Amino acid sequence: MRALAIARASGRRVLRDRVALFFLIILPIVVIVVVGAVAQGFNTFRVGVVDLDGTQASRQLVAELSHASGLAVIAYPSVGSLEKAVARSEINTGVVIPRGLSTDELSARAVTVGVIAEQANSTQQAAGTRVTSVVEEFGARVEAAQFATRYGGSFVQNLSRASSLESSTPRVGLSSQVVHTSQGSLPPGYEYSAPTELVLFVFLMAIAGGATIVETRRLGMFERMSAAPVRPRTIIAGESITYVVIAAVQSLVIVAIGSVVFGVSWGNPLAAAALLILWCLVGAGAGMVAGTFFRTPEQASAMGPIVGIVFAMLGGCMWPLSIVSTTMREIGHATPQAWAVDAWTNLLSNHGDLVTISHELGILVLFALGFFGLATFRLKRMLSSRGA
Amino acid sequence: MSRPPVLECAGLTKSFGTRLAVDGVGFRIAEGEVYGLLGPNGAGKTTTMKMVCGLLEPDKGSISIAGQQAIGNLEVKGLIGYVPQEVALYPDLTAYENLAFLARLYKLGRRTVAARVEEALELTELSDRRNDRLDSFSGGMKRRMNIAAGLLNHPKLLVLDEPTVGVDPQSRHAILERVQAFGREGLAVVYTTHYMEEAERVCDRVGIIDHGRLIAEGTRRELVAQLGEQDRIELNASGDLERLAEACRAVDGVSSAATAENSVHLVATEGRHLLPAILEAADAADISITSVDVVEPDLEAVFLNLTGTALRE
Repeated sequence: MRALAIARASGRRVLRDRVALFFLIILPIVVIVVVGAVAQGFNTFRVGVVDLDGTQASRQLVAELSHASGLAVIAYPSVGSLEKAVARSEINTGVVIPRGLSTDELSARAVTVGVIAEQANSTQQAAGTRVTSVVEEFGARVEAAQFATRYGGSFVQNLSRASSLESSTPRVGLSSQVVHTSQGSLPPGYEYSAPTELVLFVFLMAIAGGATIVETRRLGMFERMSAAPVRPRTIIAGESITYVVIAAVQSLVIVAIGSVVFGVSWGNPLAAAALLILWCLVGAGAGMVAGTFFRTPEQASAMGPIVGIVFAMLGGCMWPLSIVSTTMREIGHATPQAWAVDAWTNLLSNHGDLVTISHELGILVLFALGFFGLATFRLKRMLSSRGA
Repeated sequence: MSRPPVLECAGLTKSFGTRLAVDGVGFRIAEGEVYGLLGPNGAGKTTTMKMVCGLLEPDKGSISIAGQQAIGNLEVKGLIGYVPQEVALYPDLTAYENLAFLARLYKLGRRTVAARVEEALELTELSDRRNDRLDSFSGGMKRRMNIAAGLLNHPKLLVLDEPTVGVDPQSRHAILERVQAFGREGLAVVYTTHYMEEAERVCDRVGIIDHGRLIAEGTRRELVAQLGEQDRIELNASGDLERLAEACRAVDGVSSAATAENSVHLVATEGRHLLPAILEAADAADISITSVDVVEPDLEAVFLNLTGTALRE
């Protein structure tokens, strides 16, 4: 009950502080809406093409790339200019159609169509994957044309006949079920951004929210509370309730906007709820620690976001940890963010559930307990060394 | 002491690292008694009070409140009303919200909370400002609110740690009146201050603390009696005050001399008769004295006599 009284007073103060409310609730909404809107605009990949062959067959490949959904083709005169454009991210990927494409196709030799994309760039990788699928479809028609050419007609005629027959041939329905595989990163696009933003924002705001705890401390309120029959752990619990509620509101806003506005799937509801609650506890615990470590509210407001962003970078909120070195991945897993992102990856990319993310949840429980334990220890120490 | 003691502490000792902040302090306070702990800044008053309130654990010593052993006893805190030196309240909450929040920490029911808050507001004459935020209050009103917060649990022992620091004379007068009234109403009060006049005015007994040690204790009369026929002489002067103090110490009959802000304080036997000798010594030391004040023996003189330093040094 005493913890609830403390939570009520803290909550009332937060609700009365319009600036804090803006940063805690409005700012995350604005950011996720903007990022979501921008990410939704990225449904067309810009593809640069260099046609070194210049034959009817190569032009047909270029046409197929142009007509493929989600691809916009831009012609480049040389491989050098194409590589430069990819490096500058002017285009999402580059395709090089080699010289002698038709000759190689006629002689049934293997043809290598070059696709240029940077390994560390997830958008370029996604664009490369899309281009590869179009080229593979084209390859299937080439194989059919090669086969038909053995029995008569020219390769080019057979290639165009293969294309027209493909559209008139009834399609065979195929269903697939993934039985034993796993993805190391979240799905591309907003499906990646939404959960990582949630992980980033909740933690970052909690750390910055440590400023309020520092202020409470500096006002002498912790000392005053301790003069009543109240233990330090009750004070920490009371203050934490407020910040857990704030974190939960932030999370629900992000989840709701992600689902309703941008159609993001959050995976197994039970597992997602458990993960969200735990992440709120981790964030609130980190905020409490920040509140007992920083000396002034200004220091907490200035340093909190820096700490939050560094943790987010290390923990895979800015880019997938699958693309960094093993050492960096191990360092990243010293942050709770990495475990939260791992859990979301498991939920969203591998259709995980409460059981499959239990390991990550267990680690997050330890982080939350560690943060609250450290905050209580720090507060106790402050109170016993001339006051908090 | 005929009335039962509310607070009894003995041998309280507390160190911070290598610095000994409180060294074997002990005293008793009875029901209805206002006890002043007088000493300069950094003497150990606040540390002693924090130990009494259970905010700091003593390295050594014992504390008993209303007959119950207090160290590490959470429930005993319910018997103490603590008024810290700084105003410790939320500036963005109203007077009522602040007090109601603090009252809830004592596990009081909803109705009791409301009644205690109204009562505390009335006692400190702040009822008409109950719905105003604290950041709209004057310094004196905030101080009164700080005291109101210490009364919510109907304490047996009220600890006031320098409650008048930075307060205007009118508010100070109101606070001192209220403290005297607490004593009359039967509350045991510990009042720490470095203002000698406050200790003299409101306290039934005074303990003088310096460098962490309780060096004297008693009623004003008992303490002043220690000085015998000695007077306190205050010399206002310009120039090297240390040299003036040195010169005065050499005058026969001067038992102690200490410098304070723009003045030198002396304790001397039959001070009035010594004035010519003192002025001569000042002249010899090439110091010009602007005014001389001979004061009847008071707590300031007692402190000076015991420690060799002025209270407001």
